[in-house]
Amino acid sequence: MKGFKPSAPILLLLPAFVVLAAVVLVPLLLSLYSSFTPFRLTRPETFFVLIGFRNYVSILSNPDFWWAFGRTVLLLTIALNLEMLLGLGLAMLVEKATRGQRILRTLMMFPMMFSPILVGFQFKFMFNDNIGLVNNALQSLGITQNAIPWLIESHLAFTAITIAEVWSSTSIFAILILAGLLAMPKEPIEAARVDGCTPWQTFRYVTWPFVMPFAYIAMTIRSLDVARAYDIVKIMTDGGPAGRTELLWTLVGRTAYSDARMGLANAMAYFSILLSIAFTVYFYNKLAAARAQIGAEW
Amino acid sequence: MIDENASARLTRRALTFAHRVGLFLAMLVICLPGIWIVLSSLRPTVEIMAKPPVWIPQELSLDAYVAMFSGIGKGGIPVLDYFRNSLIISVTSTVIAVAIGMAGGYAFARYRFRGKSGMFLGLMLTRTVPGIAMSLPLFFVYARLGIIDTHFGMILAYVALNIPFTIWLIDGFFRQVPKDLAEAAQIDGCTRWQAFWQVEFPLARPGIASAAIFAFLTCWNEFALASQLTRSVNSKTLPVGLLDYTAEFTIDWRGMCALAVVMIIPALTLTYIVQKHLVGGLTSGAVKG
Repeated sequence: MKGFKPSAPILLLLPAFVVLAAVVLVPLLLSLYSSFTPFRLTRPETFFVLIGFRNYVSILSNPDFWWAFGRTVLLLTIALNLEMLLGLGLAMLVEKATRGQRILRTLMMFPMMFSPILVGFQFKFMFNDNIGLVNNALQSLGITQNAIPWLIESHLAFTAITIAEVWSSTSIFAILILAGLLAMPKEPIEAARVDGCTPWQTFRYVTWPFVMPFAYIAMTIRSLDVARAYDIVKIMTDGGPAGRTELLWTLVGRTAYSDARMGLANAMAYFSILLSIAFTVYFYNKLAAARAQIGAEW
Repeated sequence: MIDENASARLTRRALTFAHRVGLFLAMLVICLPGIWIVLSSLRPTVEIMAKPPVWIPQELSLDAYVAMFSGIGKGGIPVLDYFRNSLIISVTSTVIAVAIGMAGGYAFARYRFRGKSGMFLGLMLTRTVPGIAMSLPLFFVYARLGIIDTHFGMILAYVALNIPFTIWLIDGFFRQVPKDLAEAAQIDGCTRWQAFWQVEFPLARPGIASAAIFAFLTCWNEFALASQLTRSVNSKTLPVGLLDYTAEFTIDWRGMCALAVVMIIPALTLTYIVQKHLVGGLTSGAVKG
């Protein structure tokens, strides 16, 4: 009986581990193996030829790959920071509202319900150079005469994608930060005010440290599926024009399914996996640190 | 003195006004894309394509919806098949993921064991694998097993996709249920199993329901995996079906908008129901680790 008790949680977690091992771990090991082969879907026999690190070498010496990699990191950095700032702003606006809190909160969650593919399609529609809402509005208001090629010019396309991404995910930040603001005890704020803090100081040294863990929860959740952006980009530009908005994920998809070069694609996929893991671990640690800090102060 | 009061009042009023305007603009930006889609699905294609743009809709009709449901060949797509596939795959995988997630979440919330936080992080990391990266080996394995383009294959993949997050959420909800309650029940003669079902489960039920709905929405909305692992009406889901409206160079915007509305309505309703619990589950333990 003595050795029985500690095994209970393991028993409970067993189904989860079995499924994840079968559907995630084993396939990942398989793809790790195949990243060392010249495997092509069209030629199954290539699966058993080992070529060492040649796939990795050819990726690392390929400027297109590095562009996609850099662009992905850039997109994530810009998008996550913007989402955080806008989410914070939105949460504070809603928290200050005296009436209609419930309806405001529901509206705020609106973009969360849109599947990324719908977000991509909807912004593709709105940014369409000919019939899109954005250009129509700009032209009707007389701001510009020409049709702005939103999804055709590379910088504009990147901007449009960032806007779509930010629109779809700001609400996660807003909701969680709002939860933090609502859960916050009011005494410290009043105390700060009595002690003569300016509103900015109150925010910076009282409110923000308290809300921070909530912001990091949002960051962690977001970083769990940063690759959602794949759906958006796939629909909006599909990596175009001429590969100028190609992200790591669209590049992997193209190499694997259009060019059928599975081995090479798997090697690339490993970079994208490492990138995601890096983001998640980073925010998870931040979350733990922020929690510890709050625990010490309150 | 009076001047000071007046100016303070003025500043205050200006601030309130600015706040209202800011709030209104923010909500407008949030809602506009959705409203635009609904509106476009009701307008005739001529009006969508019109140059210069027609701002005030001249005629609204449900033609797009009628066309969509009237089947292949009449301008429709097999939307009922897609709908059925989406529903079967999402519901089944949600039920399984929640069952597994309840066991796992309970383990994390109620037991102390070695390597707990490492295990938790490890679980989360399996979720970070991008769908498209995951689809490569899955495609290969599924092709070998012959379960590509089947409901079973999609359900299996989605269960794995949902487990980590379900465990996180359910863990949070069980933590909100005081431990003492279950202990009291056990002192009164319940077994741990009974205590769980009669005390802890009912208290955590709203939370578990939200976890279920969240899992359902993840499946309902997933695209990267579905686009590679499904081939035909046998298992294609709605997000993949959306692409049926895009041809090589043209897009049937109106039809796409209509399908988008069909996709969004269940999601909208479900999210509205669970919004409160969802936030509670995610943030429990944010302050007290």
